[in-house]
Amino acid sequence: MKALAAALLVFVAACGQGKAIFNVDVYSFIAGTGKDTVPYIIPPSSSATGSTVQKINLPPGFGSSIVDSVRITNGSANLLTTSGSGRIGFQLYVAADSAGTYNAGALALNLPDTAVSAGPPISVSISGDLSAAVHTVFSQPTVWVRFVANGSNPNALPVTGLQGKMILTALTIRVVVEDKIF
Amino acid sequence: MRSGVVAVALALLVLAPLLPRQASAQFSFDARRYGMGGVSLSRDGNARRFNPAYRALKTHGETTGTPKFSIPVPIGLIKFFKDHPINQLSHDPMFDPKSTSFNPFELTNLIFNPPIFYEVKKSPTPTNNVEITLGKNQLIVNLGGSRVLIPEQSFGLGSTSRLFDAGAGFGGFHIGVMGFLQYDVAFTLDSALRRALTDTVTGVRPGDTLSLLSDAIAQAGLAPTVGFAGRLMHGADPATDDGLYLGGAVHYYLGATFGRLTGPAQIRVGSPIFGTTPAVALADTLRTSNQHNGHGVGGDVGFVWVSGPFEVGVGVNDIGAELTWSDTKVQSISYITTTGKLVTRIDTNHVETKTKLPVTYIANAALRMGTGTTVGGDVVNSGRGTVIHVGVEQRTGPFAVRGGVSRDQRKKMQFGFGGGLRLGPIGLDVGFFTHSNSLSTQRAITMATAISIY
Repeated sequence: MKALAAALLVFVAACGQGKAIFNVDVYSFIAGTGKDTVPYIIPPSSSATGSTVQKINLPPGFGSSIVDSVRITNGSANLLTTSGSGRIGFQLYVAADSAGTYNAGALALNLPDTAVSAGPPISVSISGDLSAAVHTVFSQPTVWVRFVANGSNPNALPVTGLQGKMILTALTIRVVVEDKIF
Repeated sequence: MRSGVVAVALALLVLAPLLPRQASAQFSFDARRYGMGGVSLSRDGNARRFNPAYRALKTHGETTGTPKFSIPVPIGLIKFFKDHPINQLSHDPMFDPKSTSFNPFELTNLIFNPPIFYEVKKSPTPTNNVEITLGKNQLIVNLGGSRVLIPEQSFGLGSTSRLFDAGAGFGGFHIGVMGFLQYDVAFTLDSALRRALTDTVTGVRPGDTLSLLSDAIAQAGLAPTVGFAGRLMHGADPATDDGLYLGGAVHYYLGATFGRLTGPAQIRVGSPIFGTTPAVALADTLRTSNQHNGHGVGGDVGFVWVSGPFEVGVGVNDIGAELTWSDTKVQSISYITTTGKLVTRIDTNHVETKTKLPVTYIANAALRMGTGTTVGGDVVNSGRGTVIHVGVEQRTGPFAVRGGVSRDQRKKMQFGFGGGLRLGPIGLDVGFFTHSNSLSTQRAITMATAISIY
């Protein structure tokens, strides 16, 4: 796909000093692959996280570009809890490689947690600007993201703890770049 | 490396006015001509280039009001080098792709419009945002305002030029040799590629084949020439220019080299678009001459009729000019996806190939009224589209007022107006003209200034 993206970039380059804006529908790439689901198992009276890692390919050639902003413009997830109750938050880590997404400095978005309990799924909205510290990563052709379900379970029961899964239902990232291509 | 790029760009700027252009009528140092919408009321320039009958007529004189020559006053260069100091060109954002202010459109426009003359109104450079939406099965490119620049038809450049035409004559006969150069580069976006670049709702569809079709040819050589131009009939007073003039020339073309590249460059989009690897295909055919042995015969004809203040002429060039290249090779050029390399393979070698030079022509007319008014027009085709110019000049004492319109090769109307002041053998002329030689949908206005020597 790099060839197609690179060919299209010729036309982007031809559009002068304007900005290049990429709306990447991340969800479309992971839907149905299993990576759209983050299971969480949080023992009683404790905190824990569950996560899944995904690679995103962006058009090449923006290596020397300046990334103006990166934000999630459209995102949502269902929190489907099968046992227990507690709170689940959403975090997004971004890095140039898979291992880097486990570094604390790769935290790009941290949403307030939501109260959950066993029952029907709870829909949560995911949106916001990503941390400026990770902007430079988006000038590279390969970006790794890690979706984290960050939970806390203050209850002693049930003994199985807080269990469930966070199922992404939409995630679009908007990257605005000063298009210094090639 | 960067200084090399700057040097090449500067060389282009300097040489651009001298290079053969699609329509030589589009570029000149004559401010008078610009003020009349591009028409040439004189008997040199395009008229003499395309119409061999003009060899039998005087080139200039008081009757035509034509100066012996014009010296351009390059006000545009002064401003250009003020804005872009020559000692800082290597760091100039205009020439530095690494600069955040670098705009490829601006550089292209500069090459299309060498800053010899002062640009009164520049065509705006597109600087809009470009938005690309990517999904597993979605690719939409929104070029914003620049979308209008995506050509609907074939686009490119081309020209037939006579690099030099040297010789001598006697009694109306002319023997000489000319150098010819013909090139034509044409690209066509197929409907799928056009849609991919202009449709902001659907964009690229899974399984699409996006094609850029190319057809490029270049050939050059020498042509010994024998010609004749003379007055067949004269008017009541043989001392005047009145009469019918006929001219013709036969050329024996000696082709030095030629090359032709045809074929598509394609990207076959996968289905889903980002779920499968797209296929990049290049299946071009390259024909080139092995030896400098092209040969063929062609000719020019033309006539001019002068009756008092009225003058009309028609000239046609390179009639029947077909060159036979007895030793050429045909190669196929393909792109190997796995290695990412271009591979060239000789299909056939030492075969004969024929090429043609496009027929070019001019039709011109001028009416010189006794009141100091001259009206003229011409239709010129120098190998890639027809250009029409119509203009008028009114002389009153030392002053001249001019105006005109033209239709350029992009079939857009252009306008010109200007004036002049003549003091004895020296004149100062100013001409304003609109043009669309830029990557923009809007016209620019340039002011040409020149000193004319009579």
